[in-house]
Amino acid sequence: MDAFLAQLWIARWPIFDGFLMTLGISAGTIVFGTILGCIVGIQLVFAPLWLRLPFRAYVDIMRGTPLLVLILAAFYIPAVLGLSLSAAQAGTLALGLFAGAHIGELLRGSLQAIPPGQIEAGRSIGLTFPQILANVLLPQALRTSLPPWINTGVELIKGSSLLSMIGVGELLLKTQEVIGRNFMTIQFYVFAGVLYLVVNIALDMLGKSMERRLGARQ
Amino acid sequence: MRSTALKVAAGLGALSLALSFTQVASAAGKLQDVLSRGKLVVGTGSTNPPWHFRDESGELVGFDIDVAKIIAKGLFDDDTKIEFVNQASDARIPNIVTDKVDISCQFITVTAARAQQVAFTVPYYREGVSLMMVAGGKYPDYAALKAAGNAVTVSVLQNVFAEGMVKAALPDAKVDQFESVDLMYQALNSGRADAAATDTSSLAYYMKQNEGRYVDSGFSWNPQTYACIVKQGDPDWLNFVNVALRESMTGTTFPMYKKAYEHWFGTSPSEPTIGFPAEFR
Amino acid sequence: MNYTLHFGAVWASFDHLLGGLAIGLALAVAAVAVGTVLGLLSAFASVSKSRLLRGISGTYVLLIRNIPLLVLVLLVYFALPATGIRLDKYESFIGSLALYAGAYLTEVFRAGLLSVPKGIVEAGRAIGLTRMQTNLSVVMPVMLRNSLPSLGNTFIGMFKDSSIAAAIAIPELTFEARKINVDTFRVVETWTVASGLYIAACFTIAALLRRLERRFPKF
Repeated sequence: MDAFLAQLWIARWPIFDGFLMTLGISAGTIVFGTILGCIVGIQLVFAPLWLRLPFRAYVDIMRGTPLLVLILAAFYIPAVLGLSLSAAQAGTLALGLFAGAHIGELLRGSLQAIPPGQIEAGRSIGLTFPQILANVLLPQALRTSLPPWINTGVELIKGSSLLSMIGVGELLLKTQEVIGRNFMTIQFYVFAGVLYLVVNIALDMLGKSMERRLGARQ
Repeated sequence: MRSTALKVAAGLGALSLALSFTQVASAAGKLQDVLSRGKLVVGTGSTNPPWHFRDESGELVGFDIDVAKIIAKGLFDDDTKIEFVNQASDARIPNIVTDKVDISCQFITVTAARAQQVAFTVPYYREGVSLMMVAGGKYPDYAALKAAGNAVTVSVLQNVFAEGMVKAALPDAKVDQFESVDLMYQALNSGRADAAATDTSSLAYYMKQNEGRYVDSGFSWNPQTYACIVKQGDPDWLNFVNVALRESMTGTTFPMYKKAYEHWFGTSPSEPTIGFPAEFR
Repeated sequence: MNYTLHFGAVWASFDHLLGGLAIGLALAVAAVAVGTVLGLLSAFASVSKSRLLRGISGTYVLLIRNIPLLVLVLLVYFALPATGIRLDKYESFIGSLALYAGAYLTEVFRAGLLSVPKGIVEAGRAIGLTRMQTNLSVVMPVMLRNSLPSLGNTFIGMFKDSSIAAAIAIPELTFEARKINVDTFRVVETWTVASGLYIAACFTIAALLRRLERRFPKF
């Protein structure tokens, strides 16, 4: 144990850097994914069929493909098409596209759960569709989507560990670098696991408490 | 809805513009590109001592790193003008082909199949497999291990070829495969195994870290050659890298190569012979 | 952008991809089978009267759901041998994925248990069945039927997660695709085909599950 703590002290900054990278990439992807997801969710419900189909295809492709495959594809494909992305950029792109599909699907569910009467009511008092969307539909849909949205955040933090496989210096890769040097395989994997747990459990609890509060209000 | 369609179209336009821009570079050749850029972009890994790994201060170090520094020194007379791109083993060839890096030095084994896709530089090391025992143990050398037949257990890293690899040197030995390097060494230290078999370079490095605790069996086998890779189709760049590497093993920059070799492997490479350039024999 | 598509190199290795797909499916089937047992035990524990059992079940779900699968896979793969348990990489991966599936299935089965109408439990007790008999022959079938859609989704999720086995060099679909990617450098083709295979498999499984659901009426 002492030997582990000594090694941990030596490795504290690289691991801290990796931890920040994990949090940074996760935060970046949830922002990107949420913006994308809002567009996707609205199109899935309200767009005419010809526009809805490509969005549907996008969501189904993202949800039918393993995240690791998306990450590997985003890492290799842009390069041969002449688009130079760093590993971190490619990884963020893959995670963001993945999150966009999931959040889009979440929002679609929430939007469709709103009684259609509300749209008619909005029309009858003279609101335009964008106004109805912004003032009536989205506030309700976003609120019911909030707990699963936080859950998506947990999935993204977990998923970001896969970026170690394309060489992004996030928590898992930094941990593996330390293990490569001092061979303390188990101790450092457990330590990384604990770091992931702390963040994710905190988010998980936040999500659960929101769910309860929202549930109480309905 | 029309505005959405317009935005999509505009987005696609911007994307294709970006794509066409990135195609401009490298008309003048990689060597000129690198020189005018002022730094060398090198692809390598970060988790495999003594080749490429992070030391306690988080700095990328290892024999591959020193080889890259030899090339940078030749380019800029300054071995710090390097940007290292961290890449997984299976990204080594793709990153070269797509120009993400100028060169990759990441213990790449030279094979004819890979030479169809990328250009190999001259080799800078020949890897093999060696056996290591605890100093003062039952078996002092390879002959003793071989003579002991099936009384010997060898610990080895798990992989499909592990069993066959050990049997090639010790046909009767028992093979115990382990999932990680620490477990493989632990088996040796705890006496569960009589010898550990792994890459010659890894063993040399480990023995240097633990001076006096282990002995080498004196036998190595399974040769494979390590070289850097560059993109095909640019002979000037390949020639430059070859000159820089070759001269570090045979000529003016030999002290750099020698220093790195001694630092990571604990032994000295043979000195270049003066007189006839032996590499042409 | 002078990249022209050549699928020939990928088709040449298509049998490897299909073999990889079969391994991925087998890994998922094994993991969900073991995970179902874990999930059932844990779900019954989560609704039991014992605080200890509820605590164990809750901790299990909380820990496993919040750790990245890749970290769990590496931990099981590297850590178990140190405790003297020697598993090969298939066994250790199936074990990890089963632990993961078990945590998700706990919640699936728990919801299923809570959805079983009180009336039929009472009916079971009224005709003289013991608590155990009621659980096994009344509650379980209803719960399993009601959980079928979520069970199916978990299976599809685990099948996709079997891609992570590539990290410990199990030759499943993603591993084979990476290999073709490196060997032939037909990047776009390789990942399009690999992704297409995953999607096709997911849709096929989903369609089969829907047929299965229609065969059995819902309670």
